[in-house]
Amino acid sequence: MAGIVKRFPGVTALDGVDLDVLPGEVHCLLGQNGAGKSTLIKTLAGVHTPDEGTITWDGTEVTLGHPQAAMDMGIATMYQELDLVEGLTVAENVFLGHEKSRFGFSQRSAARAATRELLAGLGHPEISPTAEVGDLSAAGQQIVSMARALSRKARLIVMDEPSAVLDSGEVERLFDVIRQLTAQGVAVVYISHRLEEIRVIGDRVTVLKDGRTVATGLPAKETPTSEVIRLMTGRSIEYVFPERGTTPQDEPLLVVEGISRRGEFEDVSFSVRPGEVLGLAGLVGAGRSEIVETVFGARRADAGTVTVGGRRLRPGSVDSAVSAGVGLAPEERKSQALVLGDSVAHNISMATLTRFSLGGLIDRGAESEAAQELATSLELRPTGITREIRTLSGGNQQKVVLARWLLRGCRVLLLDEPTRGVDIGARSEIYALVRRLADDGVAVVVVSSEIEEVLGLSDRVLVVGDGQVLHEAPATELDEHQVLDIIMRGDAA
Amino acid sequence: MSVETPRTSEEPAGTQEMAAPAATAGSGPSALSRFLGGSATRNLGLVIALVILCVVGLATAGERFGSFDNALTILRLAAVVGVVSVGMTFVICGGGIDLSVGAIVALSSVWATTLATQTMAEDIHWIVMVLTALLVGGACGLVNGLLVAYGKVAPFIATLAMLASARGLAELIAQRRTQIVRDRSFIDFFGGSVIGIPVLVIIFAIVAALGWVLLNRTTFGRRTLAIGGNPEAARLAGIKVERQTAYLYVLLGLACGLAAVMLMARTTTGTSTHGQLLELDTIAAAVIGGTLLSGGRGTIVGTVLGVLIFTTLTNVFTLNNVDTSTQNVAKGVIIVAAVLLQQRLAARRRST
Amino acid sequence: MIRRTISRPVRAAAALGVVALVAAGCTSNTPEAADTTSSDSQRAGSSNDDPGDKVTIGFSGPAADHGWLGAINSAAQAEAKKFSDVEFKAAEGTNDASQQIAQVETFINDKVDAIVLLPTDGAALTEVATKAMNAGIIVVNVDREFSTPFAARTTILGDNYGMGVSAGTYACKLVKDKNLTNPVIAEIAGIDALPLTQDRSKGFADALKGCNQTVDNRVAAEFTVESGEKVASNLLQAAPKIDIIWNHDDDQGVGVMAAFDNAKRNEFAFIGGAGSANAMRWIKEGKMEATVLYPPTQAADGVRLARLLAQDKSMSDLVQVAVPRRIVLDAPVVTKDNVEEYLPLGFES
Repeated sequence: MAGIVKRFPGVTALDGVDLDVLPGEVHCLLGQNGAGKSTLIKTLAGVHTPDEGTITWDGTEVTLGHPQAAMDMGIATMYQELDLVEGLTVAENVFLGHEKSRFGFSQRSAARAATRELLAGLGHPEISPTAEVGDLSAAGQQIVSMARALSRKARLIVMDEPSAVLDSGEVERLFDVIRQLTAQGVAVVYISHRLEEIRVIGDRVTVLKDGRTVATGLPAKETPTSEVIRLMTGRSIEYVFPERGTTPQDEPLLVVEGISRRGEFEDVSFSVRPGEVLGLAGLVGAGRSEIVETVFGARRADAGTVTVGGRRLRPGSVDSAVSAGVGLAPEERKSQALVLGDSVAHNISMATLTRFSLGGLIDRGAESEAAQELATSLELRPTGITREIRTLSGGNQQKVVLARWLLRGCRVLLLDEPTRGVDIGARSEIYALVRRLADDGVAVVVVSSEIEEVLGLSDRVLVVGDGQVLHEAPATELDEHQVLDIIMRGDAA
Repeated sequence: MSVETPRTSEEPAGTQEMAAPAATAGSGPSALSRFLGGSATRNLGLVIALVILCVVGLATAGERFGSFDNALTILRLAAVVGVVSVGMTFVICGGGIDLSVGAIVALSSVWATTLATQTMAEDIHWIVMVLTALLVGGACGLVNGLLVAYGKVAPFIATLAMLASARGLAELIAQRRTQIVRDRSFIDFFGGSVIGIPVLVIIFAIVAALGWVLLNRTTFGRRTLAIGGNPEAARLAGIKVERQTAYLYVLLGLACGLAAVMLMARTTTGTSTHGQLLELDTIAAAVIGGTLLSGGRGTIVGTVLGVLIFTTLTNVFTLNNVDTSTQNVAKGVIIVAAVLLQQRLAARRRST
Repeated sequence: MIRRTISRPVRAAAALGVVALVAAGCTSNTPEAADTTSSDSQRAGSSNDDPGDKVTIGFSGPAADHGWLGAINSAAQAEAKKFSDVEFKAAEGTNDASQQIAQVETFINDKVDAIVLLPTDGAALTEVATKAMNAGIIVVNVDREFSTPFAARTTILGDNYGMGVSAGTYACKLVKDKNLTNPVIAEIAGIDALPLTQDRSKGFADALKGCNQTVDNRVAAEFTVESGEKVASNLLQAAPKIDIIWNHDDDQGVGVMAAFDNAKRNEFAFIGGAGSANAMRWIKEGKMEATVLYPPTQAADGVRLARLLAQDKSMSDLVQVAVPRRIVLDAPVVTKDNVEEYLPLGFES
């Protein structure tokens, strides 16, 4: 691809992008949110037609007017937002759009067999071709999506953040598959926010910034991290966690005692003091999200109690948690936290409406003033609070969720994967924000599948595995290897 | 299970919005856009459609269409559908649907005109009939609301059941007879006019105005849009989603009760055949008015315009002696045309 | 997705709802004593009414979802009661053709002597009626005709075209009597898709041709009060001055009348259709010019004829020995002059 330009009404998304991919290589694409990565791969997939520039495939210039054209040529794309049909089976999804058929009748057994083979090749023989995709875990769906790309016999596979929903073991298997593919001469375009992954799997790196290629063909293994970050951000900042304050010694604010939910987690106890950040580390599926959601009352505990400032919360009642001053920034930001079609201001004030209302009538002036104040102090970008929240980047959406609970005056904040889908620049801001909140006396619980994040951000860490608390220690006394080791051994240390 | 899709700012749809962030959120400078409920772009198509209709009406029927009297006739006919449509807008905005409105109107009208109710009304005051209709409508709405919110029955199914049983109950009570309203003062009050404006039209205007305030300026409205836009997010923000949902159906039930009273005044009867296909008319009006069927977005002004377009359409056709079949064809075409026009205008507004 | 268990006061609230409903007002509706018995007094005495052989008559008709059909059923019921020699078996009214077929089959199995059948759909019931005839059961077809003449011994029909003709002829008479030049004539039809509506409109138009008139404004309602009010309101706007209005159906006529009152318009002669008790009362009060009868006594007549046929008797006022195969009822015009005579026939809608 050379000199690709794509304009959308009002904005130029791509402004001269060059990208060349060799057979059998893993070409990593890096860039901050808004750099144009998604637009670029959609252009490559034939979803968008470039306004300028050329795409050369196998030495000949081509026009990709339609997704089918790209697929026919051998370009398969695994989108970040999984494009699977939840109500159909795994096999039906894999062959969606190119069903195995004869005389118009679908050959379901052939499709099932082929699917089984593909899944086995991906190291997931346990996924049944007849299972419904909606019943699979996020990781399972990711595997199905990959099987679909492979079923096309693609020569170039574009993977948009394939590891976002995978835990480290699954990422390893993903890498094995990628290695197999490249050994067969298939080219892979790999997009990820995780630099360490790119070090492991990547061959060459192209960095995008503001719709332009700022560097291409960098060696993935040798280029220093600071150089990559500099290229991406245009600034020379390190990816740093904020300084911890002194460990507070006040009485615990949030006390969780012996909560259990059948089949999810058992006998979990912990407490958090005001000003303290408690981290829950563990792999995907370890029960971390379930635990914080139960503390919040979004799930009802079978046993155990949650108290906030001495007040016992009603089990299974979000209302009771919220009025006790607990806030949750859930894992699935878009589906669980935001009303995407509504404005930033309305999303911020959602939990605090009664404060701005008199007899049910909303004082819109006071509401937007408060929202604007928060937006400014959290450095929300863009700053306008009337725009629809769907137009904001992941990091800024997360800030809005935090703002909602700040406005509410929360004493306890539960953050579930606070930086998922947040780019590196914005991550540092979120980290700083979390620390600032703690310094202001909020008790914070952070859940993350990135162990480095939990360790760097927290004062104290609980290691969770298989629905149980395996270990508890100050964050400074643990490192990534120890945590993984505890999880792998699977029993309390 | 859905998988998160971060970094929306890369999406073209997202970046397009940058052009007109102010207009979409209602802080646009023009007074007109403010009047149009903050979605001027969406409603502009409807206004244009209505204006075209009026021009056609004037051109083909002249004074007969243009008279003040005819305008009042159109408004009076729009009133009953309009009141229910305002309620329907709330339910749809809150992520639901109610197919039982016509049946509830029928049941309320029948219950309020039984011999027993009318006798009581004669002894006390006709307000008894009004209260009965409101109570019956509200109670039906409550049943719908409880089934949907707490019983977790799909709104389509719960209200379909209500549609069947409410109309059936209405037939049983009325014994399939048309019950005449005997209280003259009731008819005179609701059928009358205040400074030349029919009371029915005034009721419609009040309901629309209250609906607008409720949806745009109150916590009730904000919560409605939140639970319709994303019920899970609303729940995790501490909003009582079930209770709010139940309220919406009760609100619509009350609107149906009020509509029944208005219909009783208009037709001087209560009968189990009242409100036939009202559910389609009201849903169509709301959707044409820009209410998202999946919930989370809607405007009262749009809904009112939707009702007026339909009523005016029928009026223009009748003035021109067009037969019913042709009218139906035209209605279908106009529904699609109005929606297409809206989309075009909205898209153009975004891209400039 | 997070699942959630809710603590819910559902049952309590639901119970409350029911209580509220019950409390909202009693639903008692003491039915007005509908006098649907036909006018016996007019009939010439004959020995036909004397008790004869015991006969069993089965009756099946559509669900009484409007006043006219309700009157049909109750009149048939009442007529049968008058005869000590008739055992009357009435099946539950239904609008489902297959259910009605099952009802007729039950009558066949029960070996009734005669069946009076007002089909939900004439064509759909033809086969089972033929089967009954073949089994030796006398079938009397009422109102909606079978598709072959062999399915019934006798057919009694109301006359929709005739209704239109009667209304049109009466309109012509008004034009002439009032000496109207260039009169505006309007028509409020019922559901336009139904053949009966088309027949009525055709009869009306044909009769109007007789005095060189045409329908100036025509609207179609849906046989309901609400629709009657709606279309009439628009009609009144469409025609600022009207001389004659014919409304096909007195059920929807209640709404039409309400629209007239709302608009304070009464400059025209209002002619109704079907002949409800409401319409008759309006005629007495002078609010309505006339109504064209579509007799709700067809099934009652059917019961009488079925009895005669089963007892091998003939109609007393015919020289003919056998009961005729086909009887088309008259669609008389009820006016102020003869309303007293027809009032007992008027059905409550």
